Amino acid sequence: MELAFYLSGLVAVLATLGVITGTSPVHSVVYLIVSLIAVALVFFALGAPFAGALEIIVYAGAIMVLFVFVVMMLNLRSDTRTDQPWLHPRQWLGPATLALVLLVAIMVLLARGSPGTLIDGELLTARSVALTLFGPWLMVVELSAILLLAALVTASHVGRRNNPLHKRKRGGNP
Amino acid sequence: MLTLNHLVALLPLVIVAITAVAVMLGIAWRRHHGLTALASAAGLLLALLALPIASGAPDSPPLMRVDGLAIMASTLVLLSALVTVALSHHYLTGYIGPREEFYLLLLCAVTGALGLVASDHLATLFISLELLSMPLYGMLAYSFRAERSLEAGIKYLILSAAATAFLLFGMALLYARTGRLDLAGLVTVLATAPDTWMLAGAALLLAGLGFKLSVVPFHLWTPDVYQGGPAPATIFLATVSKLAVFAVLMRLVLEAPVFQSDRLATLITVLALLTMLGGNLLALFQSNLKRLLGYSSIAHFGYLLVAVVAGGSLGMETAGVYLVTYLATTLAAFGVVTQLSSPFQGEDAAGLHHYRGLFWRRPWLAAVMTVSFLSLAGIPLTAGFIGKFYVIAMGVADNRWWLVGGIVVGSAIGLFYYLRVMVTLYLPEPGMRRRDASNDWGSRIGGVTLLATAVVILILGIYPTPMIDWVVGLSAIR
Repeated sequence: MELAFYLSGLVAVLATLGVITGTSPVHSVVYLIVSLIAVALVFFALGAPFAGALEIIVYAGAIMVLFVFVVMMLNLRSDTRTDQPWLHPRQWLGPATLALVLLVAIMVLLARGSPGTLIDGELLTARSVALTLFGPWLMVVELSAILLLAALVTASHVGRRNNPLHKRKRGGNP
Repeated sequence: MLTLNHLVALLPLVIVAITAVAVMLGIAWRRHHGLTALASAAGLLLALLALPIASGAPDSPPLMRVDGLAIMASTLVLLSALVTVALSHHYLTGYIGPREEFYLLLLCAVTGALGLVASDHLATLFISLELLSMPLYGMLAYSFRAERSLEAGIKYLILSAAATAFLLFGMALLYARTGRLDLAGLVTVLATAPDTWMLAGAALLLAGLGFKLSVVPFHLWTPDVYQGGPAPATIFLATVSKLAVFAVLMRLVLEAPVFQSDRLATLITVLALLTMLGGNLLALFQSNLKRLLGYSSIAHFGYLLVAVVAGGSLGMETAGVYLVTYLATTLAAFGVVTQLSSPFQGEDAAGLHHYRGLFWRRPWLAAVMTVSFLSLAGIPLTAGFIGKFYVIAMGVADNRWWLVGGIVVGSAIGLFYYLRVMVTLYLPEPGMRRRDASNDWGSRIGGVTLLATAVVILILGIYPTPMIDWVVGLSAIR
């Protein structure tokens, strides 16, 4: 378990380096997915399978899809580098190797027995997380709710398209 | 679990949060600028009235602590927010586009500030700090069609995210060494000699909070953000945001012994010296009033850090007194800028030339400005003098001669640029492009609030005893 922890930690660092050194947004996103999965494995290794699963579902799943959508939408028109060979090994070898390392790590773990018996510390399950969040941490949950509301209002205000100033300039063209 | 007692202790926060939700629903139902402003002000006022009830609650809710420091900071936060709302209304009447969201964002930020000053756990601290910052991005970028406003919002967003990363990393280091996130737990574990990792964690925490306070190595965002943001958002940033973050810094320093170790005390001393000298020197030849006030607020937080270095109950008393005087002064100074820029016409009237000859056009407004700048400079008979007197007295009592020297030099430099602005107000007008307050500014709620603030500055300067008694009384409640 310890080896898996350090291995996935190393993978996370390397993949994040890949994110910030990449020049193409799509490649950065791929590295970011590997990095998030590696962090999820770190959580598993630390005995927090719930946090690990959330990491994969929320970050690698939902948020990354959003990222890819945004990247695709921004690239719709001005993709000047379409002649670049996208399937060249140089593009996918890095993330694939890192992901393979993670796969081997988790395969070895699974082969050695159930993760529950291998983890030294206490398991942090969904039940205990929920009991903490909606017991003593209730205020934190509520404050986060207002935080999301504020973020939503900010985004909807700044992202407003129908600018009244523009309308006035254009005249009767709505 | 949360019990009824806990809810009573949290009453002001709950009221402000409910007001935010009510305002949001109101906007969704029917937009009305005046009513929204009125509802926000009513909610804030109600929360202010609920504070005495909250301070009488027998026990604090989990992860939070409602003690004297929290009550004092909450009072100041709510008062500053009320003044901001009063000044925003007239300012926003000129804004084309939706105006009501500003109040919604402001209420959300106040909720965050109230949570922050009462936080007793690193999780509440972090979430509340984010809740305080997130609406501020929106408020700073509110008139996002003006280039500078959007720039200010994005600059604050990105640099703030970097500061948050520092803060989180510091928390992670402390957690890794101690296994605790609550301040009480941290203190018991840290009571033994702190090692390098804990010092590093505490220093990173300090860097994250220092960014929000724009302490000198982390101050680079301040002038641009102050200049670009709409005036009410800048007021909020300069008062509520800084005040709440300073309160939480004070709590960390008062409670966690790691901050009183020699190395960190030296670090804070150096930061304080850099901040007071740097802020004043940068402001010297500034011709934009909002930038000048931004630099001046940097310098003032340098003076305030002296109270952090000293710590103890005297440190808290000094910080409280200084914060009250700083708030009154800053609200008045930025209030005049807001009045001159109201109603909103794109860029704010911030160039010094806009203020040339203000006295001959708007004598009362110029008088408010003069009082606030005298107070910023720390001239006797104004509130600023009492604050500065306290800080110097404490520096002397604590034998921090370097810091006392820094305050003296900084104040001397400060006097130059404060006087320059004041002289500008009385110069005859050479017929330059002028921005003026609307004719009825004095009869509007914002103008009345502004005049009241100026009177408060004078009263605090002449007869500060009630304010000092209030601060001392609250410092004693633990």
